[in-house]
Amino acid sequence: MSLPNLTTTIAFINDKPCAFETGETILQFTRRHWGKDSIPTLCDAPNLEAFGSCRVCSVEVALEKDGPRRTKASCHTLVEPGTFIYTESAAIQKLRKNIIELVLTDHPLDCLTCEVNGNCELQDVAARVGIRKVRYPVGENHLDREKDLSHPYLTSDLSKCILCFRCVRACDEVQGQLVLSVAGRGFDSKIVKGFDQSFFESDCVSCGACAQACPTSAISDVYQSKALVGQDKIRTVCTYCGVGCNLEVSVKNGSILSIQAPWDAEVNQGHTCLKGRYAFSFYKHPERLQYPMIRRNGQLERVSWNEVYDFIAAKLSTIRTEYGPNAIAGISSSRCTNEENYLMQKFIRAVIGTNNIDGCARVCHSPTAIGMQRAFGTGAATNSIEDIKFADCIMVIGANPTEGHPVTGAKLKQFAMKGKTTIVIDPRRTELAKYATHHLQLRPGTNIAVLDMMLYYIIKEGLTKKDFIEARTEGFEAFKDSILNINLDDLEAVSGVPREQVRAAAIAYASTNAAMSFHGLGVTEHYQGTFTVMQIANLAMITGNVGRRGCGVNPLRGQNNVQGMADMGVQPYQGAGYFDVTHPDYNRMYEEFYGVNIPIEIGLTIPQMYNAALDGQLKALWIMGEDLVQSDPNTSKVIKALESLDLLVVQEIFMTETARYADVILPAASFLEKEGTFTNGERRIQRVNKVVEPVGEAKADGQILAEMMNRMGYAQAPYTAKGVLEEIAQIVPFFAGVKWEELGTQGKQWPVAPDGADTKILHVDAFKRGKAQFFFREYIESPEILSFQQDYPYILTTNRVLEHYNAGTMTRRTPNVDIVHEDLLLIHPEDAGRHNIAEADWVCVESARGKVDIKAHLSDAVKPGVLSTTFHFPELLVNLITSDVHDSEANCPEFKVVAVRIRRARRVAERQTRLVV
Amino acid sequence: MSENVRNLSARHGLDNRLFDRLAEARSEEKGLDQEVMHQVADEYLIGNANVYGAATFYDFLNPEQSNKKVFVCAGSACMLAGTQPALHHTLEQHFDPSTIGEVYCLGRCYENHAFHYHGLNYSGQAAAQITELKAGSITTIADQYTVGSLGKGLLTALHPSLEQTLKTLIQLLESDPEQLLEEISISGLRGRGGAGFPLAIKLAGVKKENADEKYIVCNADEGDPGAFSDRYLLEQKAHLVLFGMAICGYISGAQDGVLYIRAEYPEAISILQKAIEPFNRIFSYQKRNGDIVNFKLHVVKAQGAYICGEETALLSSLEGLRPEVRTRPPFPSQYGLFGKPTAVNNVETLANVYAILSDGGTTFKAIGTAKSAGTKLLSLDSHFNNPGLYEVDMGTPLSVVINELGGGLKEPIKAFHIGGPLGGLVPLHKIAELTIDFESFASQGFLLGHASILSIPTRFPLLEYLEHLFAFTAHESCGKCFPCRIGSVRGKELLQKARAGNYQIDRELWDDLIDTLEKGSLCALGGGLPLPVKNAMQYFPAELGAYFK
Repeated sequence: MSLPNLTTTIAFINDKPCAFETGETILQFTRRHWGKDSIPTLCDAPNLEAFGSCRVCSVEVALEKDGPRRTKASCHTLVEPGTFIYTESAAIQKLRKNIIELVLTDHPLDCLTCEVNGNCELQDVAARVGIRKVRYPVGENHLDREKDLSHPYLTSDLSKCILCFRCVRACDEVQGQLVLSVAGRGFDSKIVKGFDQSFFESDCVSCGACAQACPTSAISDVYQSKALVGQDKIRTVCTYCGVGCNLEVSVKNGSILSIQAPWDAEVNQGHTCLKGRYAFSFYKHPERLQYPMIRRNGQLERVSWNEVYDFIAAKLSTIRTEYGPNAIAGISSSRCTNEENYLMQKFIRAVIGTNNIDGCARVCHSPTAIGMQRAFGTGAATNSIEDIKFADCIMVIGANPTEGHPVTGAKLKQFAMKGKTTIVIDPRRTELAKYATHHLQLRPGTNIAVLDMMLYYIIKEGLTKKDFIEARTEGFEAFKDSILNINLDDLEAVSGVPREQVRAAAIAYASTNAAMSFHGLGVTEHYQGTFTVMQIANLAMITGNVGRRGCGVNPLRGQNNVQGMADMGVQPYQGAGYFDVTHPDYNRMYEEFYGVNIPIEIGLTIPQMYNAALDGQLKALWIMGEDLVQSDPNTSKVIKALESLDLLVVQEIFMTETARYADVILPAASFLEKEGTFTNGERRIQRVNKVVEPVGEAKADGQILAEMMNRMGYAQAPYTAKGVLEEIAQIVPFFAGVKWEELGTQGKQWPVAPDGADTKILHVDAFKRGKAQFFFREYIESPEILSFQQDYPYILTTNRVLEHYNAGTMTRRTPNVDIVHEDLLLIHPEDAGRHNIAEADWVCVESARGKVDIKAHLSDAVKPGVLSTTFHFPELLVNLITSDVHDSEANCPEFKVVAVRIRRARRVAERQTRLVV
Repeated sequence: MSENVRNLSARHGLDNRLFDRLAEARSEEKGLDQEVMHQVADEYLIGNANVYGAATFYDFLNPEQSNKKVFVCAGSACMLAGTQPALHHTLEQHFDPSTIGEVYCLGRCYENHAFHYHGLNYSGQAAAQITELKAGSITTIADQYTVGSLGKGLLTALHPSLEQTLKTLIQLLESDPEQLLEEISISGLRGRGGAGFPLAIKLAGVKKENADEKYIVCNADEGDPGAFSDRYLLEQKAHLVLFGMAICGYISGAQDGVLYIRAEYPEAISILQKAIEPFNRIFSYQKRNGDIVNFKLHVVKAQGAYICGEETALLSSLEGLRPEVRTRPPFPSQYGLFGKPTAVNNVETLANVYAILSDGGTTFKAIGTAKSAGTKLLSLDSHFNNPGLYEVDMGTPLSVVINELGGGLKEPIKAFHIGGPLGGLVPLHKIAELTIDFESFASQGFLLGHASILSIPTRFPLLEYLEHLFAFTAHESCGKCFPCRIGSVRGKELLQKARAGNYQIDRELWDDLIDTLEKGSLCALGGGLPLPVKNAMQYFPAELGAYFK
């Protein structure tokens, strides 16, 4: 063995030898050894590629000691072995000072009144290089550029712009929106939005990446997020989607000033979306519920907590005595923390004594949990989001992540924009589909048909991974026979996707080293939702795409804590940690742990609860943080069910459509006002920290539950998130090593071993269930179509927009409504033409359940025959028409396929004033 | 700049170039038509801002230029000749003054009075016939310049016929590319664009890359005012250039060759558009051993931006991005056009390949000096008694060029500006020490560059000339790096103030500015401007001293 040649790994920084890594730039190298402030920069940013425009990072480099020195920009010059780098020579100091002096000749010198005074990178660098005055006479400049205050959030004042391009690059390299560029050239180069429009007129998606990237106040926001120095900055986790962005919240005098995305966050690396960054003002909206209320004589009256607890306890006890515990049910919320979900299911199971506990995952990812459990043994994402970096092919099926999961969506879009193999299976030409290499634009409800065809071609083309199938799976032979027996003609016809397109996508998926799949509610919210999830698992198994980096099956979780809610046992058939409630051993385990008798029979799912209520079986329902009336299908039925109850307790932050039917209102704290943990879509348990005190008399959901449990005679310790987390760690095996203090800022991905080690990739050596299971189920047309197609020839599918979150309870109470203020119906121009419908006309959309009027938006993003809309706004109650069909396995409603007919609306005014409660 | 936009543009490739689509948005009425730009943005998925941002970069697409009907040359040669004010005056008799624009160098430096009208260039006495031009009764007015040579005269010699050129090409396609590369390596041919980088090394760099696509790009956008050698080769020796490209493609494994030609040379563009056809018809070529060789030539019309002569800016321009200079590494040989391995070569360099491969590398190597092999084209301006285009063997004394080929000067001059706007300012007493080769110029603190020779008459104030150089740089700066973007303007302003009187430039500030440009600039534009400025300060202290304190 030869001795390593030292000169190949050593270079000298200011004459001190330092080891460098291959491919490292001088800037990276110096910062690693001498600290992040060792070289000043202006155009460099933590999440952007080296750009080389400001030249402030220049250093001197000599090939030998005392040799001639050349000036190099350190950000894009690679370290060469044995070279001598001088970062602070007199010549370099002078050069930096001279560059900054030039910058200041075209920059307003009004620091003292500037919003970022004291927190401005230009100011810092100017101070550091020691600028005292600008020696140039006044010349041409751009100090008279006008401010852009058009947008609800983003602002710009280009008189402050130093043209470092950081905003342009952030919009491009981070968000991938390409809204910003530079127009003109040379000295007159100018940052432009679109065709040099305002932020509001441009295609900006308000993510704020540009504002965060800007080193001055040239691009900022209405919260002046960068201006905050010396305030309290509290790190927490976003409450919106399942991406789980880390947020840094600036607080002053108990009030939130602004939110930024921390650069060091593993989940979001300094990025987030407009919901996470800007849509926080709901927390102090005047409509927040501030005190408990009880309905008396039809009116909700303010009462004390003491009174409300007594009232509920008495009511529940009476109902339990009279009708038994199964006449009571609880609905928990994936918007709440793990600790609160755990307590909710414990309350229902241990205190009430029923397994009638379910949560909003029922209407979103319950089929994922069941489907993946059946295939792999674990109902959770197999991989981590960072694996996108290592994937060669990405398949996105039934998901629109650029709207629904913006930060992950941006990463996927970056992947697709670079021309890497991307397959999108979706009835709509989503943002991602535009950039994808393959878009299989199927008819809603035919996922299985398309996936069957893909599997067929993979087998036919001999692209199966035989070693993996043999060693790690079972049931392949029978599965293969079934697949080879499918009728391609039929499947091609029902799905509407030409077989050659499917074949090309199948080959693309199966031919790469690492193919990663993502799916969303376009998979689960179907009659065959669970089977589709299993089919996606089959696709991964047959190609050996499980248990490695850059592959796997990865559900995009809709809500911030869908994963955690299921983990905590919020389903009628499994308790905390997914143990089967009907299994005597597990029942005994729970009984011992909770210290009371626990029922052994499966309870009701949410759809079953409605039926039970309508049948008079269910008498009391406690809903924590979910707006069933607005977000569940078949609204009229939901309302009837709620009206049939003797007691409806709603624990909420706002008077939602559901809360209007409540007998008791319990005001809850928002995520900004409490502690706990959320588990994101990649199984990452992250700490939520209290930022401000709850409004009025509102309490954390966990505290309400713990107090209620005690009021009903169960000795639950006074609520602390840490205390409940300790309890969870004792019963949920994959939480065994989770400790409040050790979660830190980045959290841990479960399973967390008792020693605290966490897990980025599941099923590496073995599946949870031993071997993965192949399972074939043939395509079946949805009963909705079979029953109603004749009279209702169009298919309406539902989706989300970026600006609003689900029922809009929070986002509608923020300036997001100034950007998007209504639900729209996407309709293909051909269909619109056939019905004489023009852009922005009201369209009457009628299903077998009812009808609603929605404003038309003509778009070729949907195929003829397919319509799409959102249900963010209660004014429309789109769910009045959605279907009563549910996934055959998980009971998840089929929001995605509704047979409808359309016509231009006649009675707009009347129907808009419907449903006054 | 943007990897994303580059990839999105690459999806449409060279046959549906985003760059060409930008030009479609130009409209005389609307400047840049938003509807067209929006369509392009949608089709390429690159966002409105990227289309608008790229289009507004170019002189010929700039909305403010859209009403211009006639463009007067503002290049250094025409300025030094002093012909343009009168030309402007003449044109004002025929055009609304607001419709008269400017353009930097039409390559008519030997007879001046140059202007661009209706897609063609005119010079010399052409303005006298402007009425006929406008009426359309005359469409072309030929310019005239001497072409001469001293020594071997490889490029100016009677060139082989098209038939012969194609025949030679086909013969060479039967040989081993390795062997052809070796021949070029032996020849010692160095790039004629200024940097003098050996062609063989550049080609070997592209050859060794493992990529599905590679490109040969001919940089015919080196718009150094004062140089017209590229124009000569494109218009008169197109086959030699195309031959060179095809051979470079064969050697390096590139299947596409792109000529990016200055819009200021409209005649060259139409000549090349025709000239590539017979070459493209050869391909795809099946060798006797059955191998298939593919090569397709594309002519791309530039849109008026000097910075596109910088190779990375040129590549970004071809991709339809804003032509801002890229950082290196990666170098174009690994990450060039559409992110693929690319050899970008100067016109004259490519034109030399024919001589090397027909006469042998050794023969070529024997011409010129030890380190600068071959010949060099020179552009002599109208101050010479015999202005025109000359070819000399490398190593020929500058004095021979000036006195013998140029035939001396028509009026007293004080310095030559050699090698383009970023070349050195050579005082008369230095002439005797210089020979036409890379080493001689570099060792004396000058730059051979494109070897254009501009004469600065004694009567012409040097301060005004420096201001012209700063103004040129300010006009052509891409705006990416801080020193060049701001420094070029501040330099121009300081000189303007000094020239206007009652203002002396602080010498320390001035030296700081020059130092900042030289050391801090990202590319040779801002980084090169200090050379002539420093020469001027060094050699003409008496004339310039009064303007500084």
